[in-house]
Amino acid sequence: MNPDIIDGFTQASMASTLAATAVGCLLGLVVGMIPGLTISTGIIIVLPLTFVLPPDISIALLLGLYVSGMTGGSFSAILLNIPGTPSASATALDGYPMAARGDAGHALGLAITASFIGGLFSFLCLFLIAPLLAELALKFQSPDLFSLVFFGLTIICSFAARSLIKGLLSALIGLMILTIGQDPMMGTARFTFGQVNLIAGVHFLTALIGLFAIPQLVDNLSAIIRDGQGQASTARIRRIVPSLADLKSLRVPVAIGAPIGAFLGILPGAGGPIAAFISYDYAKKLSATPERFGNGAPEGIAAPEAANNAVTGGALIPMMTLGIPGDPVTAILIGALLVHGLAPGPLLFLERGDFAYGIIFSFFWANIFNVIIAFLGLRVLVKVLAMPKSLLMPIIAILCVIGSYALRNNFFDVYVMFGFGLLGLAMRWLDMPVVPLLLALVLGRPLEEHLRVSLVASKGEIDIFFTSPFSLFFLVMAAASIFWSLYAERRSKKAAGNGMESEQ
Amino acid sequence: MRKRNLISAVVLIAIGISYFVLSVQLPTRNIENATGPSFFPLVTVTGFLVLAAALLFQAIRGRASLGSVPTLAKISRATYGWAFAAAVLYLVALPSLGFIAANIPLFAALMVLYGEKRPVWVAAGSIGISVAVFFVFREMFQIQLPAGILGGLV
Repeated sequence: MNPDIIDGFTQASMASTLAATAVGCLLGLVVGMIPGLTISTGIIIVLPLTFVLPPDISIALLLGLYVSGMTGGSFSAILLNIPGTPSASATALDGYPMAARGDAGHALGLAITASFIGGLFSFLCLFLIAPLLAELALKFQSPDLFSLVFFGLTIICSFAARSLIKGLLSALIGLMILTIGQDPMMGTARFTFGQVNLIAGVHFLTALIGLFAIPQLVDNLSAIIRDGQGQASTARIRRIVPSLADLKSLRVPVAIGAPIGAFLGILPGAGGPIAAFISYDYAKKLSATPERFGNGAPEGIAAPEAANNAVTGGALIPMMTLGIPGDPVTAILIGALLVHGLAPGPLLFLERGDFAYGIIFSFFWANIFNVIIAFLGLRVLVKVLAMPKSLLMPIIAILCVIGSYALRNNFFDVYVMFGFGLLGLAMRWLDMPVVPLLLALVLGRPLEEHLRVSLVASKGEIDIFFTSPFSLFFLVMAAASIFWSLYAERRSKKAAGNGMESEQ
Repeated sequence: MRKRNLISAVVLIAIGISYFVLSVQLPTRNIENATGPSFFPLVTVTGFLVLAAALLFQAIRGRASLGSVPTLAKISRATYGWAFAAAVLYLVALPSLGFIAANIPLFAALMVLYGEKRPVWVAAGSIGISVAVFFVFREMFQIQLPAGILGGLV
């Protein structure tokens, strides 16, 4: 057996790493179930704590948070009909009706079990596919890597944007911001305006905290103005652990949800909400009694929950093997690894195979702890839903400030974070997605480096990108992704136009 | 949305032109077959200006992006203004006041903003949590947060 596998397992199974995974799971369940707090925000809040921890423990904590955040989202979806995370939106369709008829415990038990199975399935995918993909990716040369990163950017833009132009503009803003600081090839200072703090460039995590957390604070304020402090669940939770008959009934929806989730997780940009809704739709179509869906069908909970947890392992595959984040959370995980001097990508498996497998096994343990903590602590955990936002939001605000400062012990980063917060608000006002900007900040540096290295190798000829089969393949995929999103946008506008006409 | 697209397109074009001018002014180095520091910024800004022009064209033709979007919910401009002013004040005062002294009023203001009306709760929450967070980070996580004016006390 590959010694890295054994080392990775040992590393992930050490008491300190397991404790970090368990803490991450606990935090993830709490963060996931609080409406208005996304998993990304949860990870951002915890990030400063991880700077002082060893990388394996940090990543175990963050993975626990990622995995359990997905499950936690279903709790509020079922109990309050308010999805804690966007990925749990589909779960609310049948979860809440089940809770409303007095089956809250049953619904929560099904959600936890389906999440567990979906998570384990994606662990297997991660364990089996990631090393193979990393091996393949080792054959990539600079032109291939440039085209791959370019493809990653285009597919993300097309998924993230309601308007392709705005999605691409957002990504280009990210690339422009990334050019601040030293030129990666020659070390020339660019756009620093004599400011010493800008020579190292804008720190990705500073930008991330501002872009995500500040708009979220504003969103929560507007939600409070609109809805008050929110509602506490009145549902009584009785039996949680599913019966044997329940487990049998889960087979088909979980078998639908888990592969869909793992597959869509691999695709950059698709993410949990899409996987959950597609799985829900398939489970309904394949059900002998589709009319029960929407009225509290257990399959309507199991399929999306298996899917959204399977997304997590799927999303880790391109992150670990290619350095391409599948969603904002994996982008943050890349940032967290970079803080510790570890760059995800094919070389991670070659140079730090033990660490790469350590991540994979930490993901496994995260799924185990997730199910244990969720079942054992459910009755206590749901009390968090009653926590007032008037306490929670100020805590998030000061943790964001401390998080920005702690990155480089520098007040300048706090100002930059605030600037990005304003940028995030402005982009929201303009209906411009922030996710492409964020991902451009992650992918921009390798994009520029591989582009320029390739052009040096080819003496300025761009043919180099079309002569390598890998590069050509990724460029064709990038073109297809852009054309597809243009087509989809056009079709949606047409449908929206028809809808408006028929309303008139 | 059309008006917003128009405003944003004009602003983005202005930003793009400024960035282009700055990119052209970047120092160059004559190394054979190597691209200079301005290469990537110029490639990026070209795409940016083309897309911003396309957005402007769309806005002029009256084509909105998909549907109308519920963006920032109804928070009054006065609230935004006060929040912005308070945030700027906080950021300016933070280095000299230090984390505890600056975070207490920030925390209290945010508690009130998020709906807490009870003065005792506001006082207890803002002081208690600001101090607790400071010590948790400093003692447990060894992150040296500046104590500022309270440096002699903590």
